[in-house]
Amino acid sequence: MKKCVAVLLATGMIMMAGCGSSEKVIERDTATTSAEVSSQENTGSASEGVTENGSVADSVQKGYLFLYKDVTVSVDANMKPILEKLGEPVSYFEAASCAFEGLDKIYTYSDFEIDTYPQGEEDFVSAIILKNDVVTTAEGIYIGCSRDEVTAAYGTDYSEKGSMVVYEKDGMKLCFLFDNETVASIQYFSTVLDE
Amino acid sequence: MKKKKYFRIIAAVLIVICTLALLQRLLTPKYVDDVIEGALIAEYYDEDKEHDVVFIGDCEVYENFSPAVLWEEYGIHSYIRGSAQQLIWQSYYLLEDTLRYETPKVVVFNVLSMKYNEPQKEAYNRMSLEGMRWSSSKVKAVLASMTERENFEDYLFPILRYHSRWSELNSGDLEYMFQVPKVSHSGYYMRVDVKAAENIPEAKPLADYEFGENAYFYLDKMVQLCEEKGIRLILIKAPSLYPHWYDEWEVQMEEYAKEHHLLYLNFLECTDEIGLDFQTDTYDGGLHLNLSGAEKLTSYFGQILTEQTDVEDKRADEKLAAIWEQKLAEYEKDKQEQYIQYGIEK
Repeated sequence: MKKCVAVLLATGMIMMAGCGSSEKVIERDTATTSAEVSSQENTGSASEGVTENGSVADSVQKGYLFLYKDVTVSVDANMKPILEKLGEPVSYFEAASCAFEGLDKIYTYSDFEIDTYPQGEEDFVSAIILKNDVVTTAEGIYIGCSRDEVTAAYGTDYSEKGSMVVYEKDGMKLCFLFDNETVASIQYFSTVLDE
Repeated sequence: MKKKKYFRIIAAVLIVICTLALLQRLLTPKYVDDVIEGALIAEYYDEDKEHDVVFIGDCEVYENFSPAVLWEEYGIHSYIRGSAQQLIWQSYYLLEDTLRYETPKVVVFNVLSMKYNEPQKEAYNRMSLEGMRWSSSKVKAVLASMTERENFEDYLFPILRYHSRWSELNSGDLEYMFQVPKVSHSGYYMRVDVKAAENIPEAKPLADYEFGENAYFYLDKMVQLCEEKGIRLILIKAPSLYPHWYDEWEVQMEEYAKEHHLLYLNFLECTDEIGLDFQTDTYDGGLHLNLSGAEKLTSYFGQILTEQTDVEDKRADEKLAAIWEQKLAEYEKDKQEQYIQYGIEK
């Protein structure tokens, strides 16, 4: 019987042991992957807000950035300070996911769109979509640029999917969609939600 | 003496297995108090299995069609095997699983999931797959659905996946440990509240509008399986305004349906005819219909089913009538409770 109790205790200890940071955890009755956990860690300081010159704190800037006037927008950054700097969008749409708590939100401004995903009580940038040639990437590429100009700005280390060229950096993706040889769409995506 | 020793070993093993099984039941999410969509798939097994129409697909079926209306207005006995972000290979294996119990006359499949060609998110996988009873269909569904980070053993023994949930356990985990209450009405997730559709965002341009090979592979399998079983397969696109349904996707579905002699109905193209008003008939800004919208859509679709398939009016069937009497009472009760909850006067 002692052996039985020992086996039970050992099993219980294994079962009850918390996961390490690289493992998966369960959140709110649903499976949450380590990708989401690491995102939470990455964005943990995002609520610190924007810097004096209007940029989101360096700790939350990752990958390729989008600059609009004096505001720097990065995927996976906390939306709250960005929204405070950008002001009210032209239109706002929110979509409850099929089954999860919280809302995916879409803020549409005249020249670009910012999408967010919920994490705890806060929202983080999941995508930035440039809508016209008034705005550019931080590296100066805008809708209407040629493929050569994109390559000159970002190099040749990219992957291709159909007519889309994808540059990856720090766990995010910057995508250029081409119509013939001209940039037709520019999209920044977080990869946090990929898993 | 030896016998006694063997008895002790067997008893110890049994105690360990029982303890682990109990722990697994305790730790596995119940999907009752929140995220109730996770409970939909398992509910089917407790149902009477003589359905004439079975819906399969994602939230666009379980939130947009009401089997209660099909029964009340047309005497059609139906069920929805829907789950959140149900991917097409999951739909196929759920169909296979359903056919282990019954052979409906009509299967209705919502085609939005054609847009996914690869496994997506574990959390959604879990909600579609955990409720399935174990069979070769479930094994194949799990293998087809797993993302790179997932393991088959975690599906086989969910305690391996949920062991760290112990710190989040609440009273519901104990209350529903052995008996989970029903959360749907024959697979339909009822919502009576209203949130008008406004500011639907522009569709994002895509790199590739072609549905993937894997998606077509499972659609072909679905067509073949239905043909083998003599089931009429109907493809639909529910009238949800978001996510966007691209014209390029529509063309592919129309061509596919034509090529395979299938009825394909895109309800987005007949919202006026259905009588849908997205100011009052949706509860989440146009993604899903509320009860008012779902009843209008189902009423419209019921007419098509009656006219274009061989489903019969079974209201005279005493056994089914008795089953539906109880179902309709629960439906009405839920409806009235929600009207009170959301402060809606009816």
